[in-house]
Amino acid sequence: MEKWDVVIVGAGPGGSYAAKTAAEAGLRTVFFERGRKPGEKNSSGCGLGQRWWRDFPEVMEAVTRMPSYRKVEMVVINMVDEDLRLRFRCGTNGSDLCAGRFPNRKGMEGASVYRMDLDPYLAELAVKAGAELRTSTLVTDVIMENGQVKGVRTERGEPVYAEVVIAADGAMSTMARRSGMRNRWGGGCTNVLQLDYACDEEMMDDVIGDAEWCWFGGAVGYQVNFRSSFHISVGGGWLDRDLKGYRRHDDLKSLIDVPAFQAMCRAVKARPREFQAHLLPWLKRPVKSYTGGMMLVGDAAGFPCPLEAEGVWHACYSGKIAAETAAWAISRGDVSENALSEYEKRWKASFLGKEHEFGEEFVDIWEGAIMNREKALEQLQLMLEFTMLQPFSIVFDWADAHMDCFNHHLRHFLELAPQFSDFGRTYLAPLARGVWPSNVKRILLMLKPRIPVLRNLSDRNYFRVMARLFRQLAPFLDPTAEQDAPLPRGSLEKRGGERR
Amino acid sequence: MSEGRIDFKSLVKRVDADKTGDFISYDPEKCDGCGLCAVICPFKLWSVKEGKARLAPRYQELCLECASCWEICEREAIDFSYPRGGTGVVIEYG
Ligand SMILES: Cc1cc2nc3c(=O)[nH]c(=O)nc-3n(C[C@H](O)[C@H](O)[C@H](O)COP(=O)(O)OP(=O)(O)OC[C@H]3O[C@@H](n4cnc5c(N)ncnc54)[C@H](O)[C@@H]3O)c2cc1C
Repeated sequence: MEKWDVVIVGAGPGGSYAAKTAAEAGLRTVFFERGRKPGEKNSSGCGLGQRWWRDFPEVMEAVTRMPSYRKVEMVVINMVDEDLRLRFRCGTNGSDLCAGRFPNRKGMEGASVYRMDLDPYLAELAVKAGAELRTSTLVTDVIMENGQVKGVRTERGEPVYAEVVIAADGAMSTMARRSGMRNRWGGGCTNVLQLDYACDEEMMDDVIGDAEWCWFGGAVGYQVNFRSSFHISVGGGWLDRDLKGYRRHDDLKSLIDVPAFQAMCRAVKARPREFQAHLLPWLKRPVKSYTGGMMLVGDAAGFPCPLEAEGVWHACYSGKIAAETAAWAISRGDVSENALSEYEKRWKASFLGKEHEFGEEFVDIWEGAIMNREKALEQLQLMLEFTMLQPFSIVFDWADAHMDCFNHHLRHFLELAPQFSDFGRTYLAPLARGVWPSNVKRILLMLKPRIPVLRNLSDRNYFRVMARLFRQLAPFLDPTAEQDAPLPRGSLEKRGGERR
Repeated sequence: MSEGRIDFKSLVKRVDADKTGDFISYDPEKCDGCGLCAVICPFKLWSVKEGKARLAPRYQELCLECASCWEICEREAIDFSYPRGGTGVVIEYG
């Protein structure tokens, strides 16, 4: 009978990082992959964000040496209208604050690489640490005894026992299903189509630069750029019965028909090369991530970021925590469901948990304002109107009687106000809970000198009076509230309830 | 570069597509013919005939292994496992 300390299903980023961590902790570890080699079943794109420099600096160093690597220093946003004309292009340039947020001023530096570069590298780290990798092996079932996971079964029927199983088998997670933890996602999952293009490397440098590109509005696509290629991913429709905001295959076709996209393709000499489709959980909150003898990591637990569905970092990060928890539980001789609940406690207290505190609000913005074509076109209009008010517009559009031009725009903008406030009320106001109490106080103190009577109060009394006058502010001004952290969910809703 | 000239099916690589085994199964009893599987499948391998979903008989040669049909089916009429280890779709630029 084959028995290991830890059996890991899947050699994606989550599985490999868990295997590396487990092996380094001295656990006898095996990990299974259905592909002939890690990476060959995975479609994602692998834009790796800046926090990789904080949490996995050694991996990032290696990434910069991979063949497909392209640095990311900005995201270029292209918005097209319903006739597919490019109407709005801007870039996220970031400030010095961003750069300084992570070690070595890496706060504005991300990376893009192919999974065929990243996945084998991560698996190799695990193998070097002492884990055993078995490729071309599909795991088909879990072995359960009295409701406790005891191991897995491969397609050849072989039982492989373990103290702890880590399910890193991606969005469809055979392990989560066969153990009865869940079946389909039933709503929170999206599917993504991806089309890869081979390009001319020099032209990529000249035309694209160190950037990722996005296409929004009348056509949607996320363009991840590599050394001498790029791919566009389209879709991200939530798979539920009414297919809310679901953008089909036709949407990929509309992006391909965007003249500005075609122009970019010509400039970089792009040639379509590969077509892929993959599930991507995009949940308001992750699901229960443990049961007796088993933990779910990465996509299997629904960890991708609720704001924009990045998930490779989440897979590695949760893989690491799961393996550490396995080592802890095995050393105590208790791998029961109760013991493994420690895993969920640990990830909730980590950066990963923070990521999901505003999951509901973030998913709503994407679902309602960006993936939904009608709403996205509304956003485009609002953005266009908004840019006409900023001082740079002097250069072109205020070229006639200047104040008249400005006032035309201002009037039009004010006419659109209901549309703005609708967007604000629906999507932005719910995020107000996240403003730190310390920043709310900063704003109130800026107003204080302008308010007769109140300006003579001490700051403490001023806050007291404001909390009375504006009940919604009260939780922010509560002296016991943590200053540099969002208020806990529920603290605002409760107050609102009282008032009604 | 227009979409008309891109043949998506020719842009998918596979190994041993004849050795994948059966990896999608389907229970007509549970199916209510809603047709969402047909909408979601990128290559339209599902269709609805006489109120029941139908899977293309040689789906193994075309399936992208995304499992969207399994995810979308509220009646849980579709079960999806994967092709045998080491067979099926190969993604070189994922
Ligand atoms: C089109 C697309 C674009 C994306 N873009 C980005 C991005 O730019 N940046 C980012 O950070 N994230 C991105 N994501 C999300 C990211 O890909 C995932 O969150 C991440 O891959 C999750 O890692 P994982 O290890 O949990 O699962 P996976 O990467 O899915 O790995 C699971 C592994 O397990 C194997 N496996 C599955 N079942 C079995 C089984 N039964 N037996 C044996 N092996 C099995 C699979 O072959 C696979 O190798 C994107 C996703 C998609 C679909």
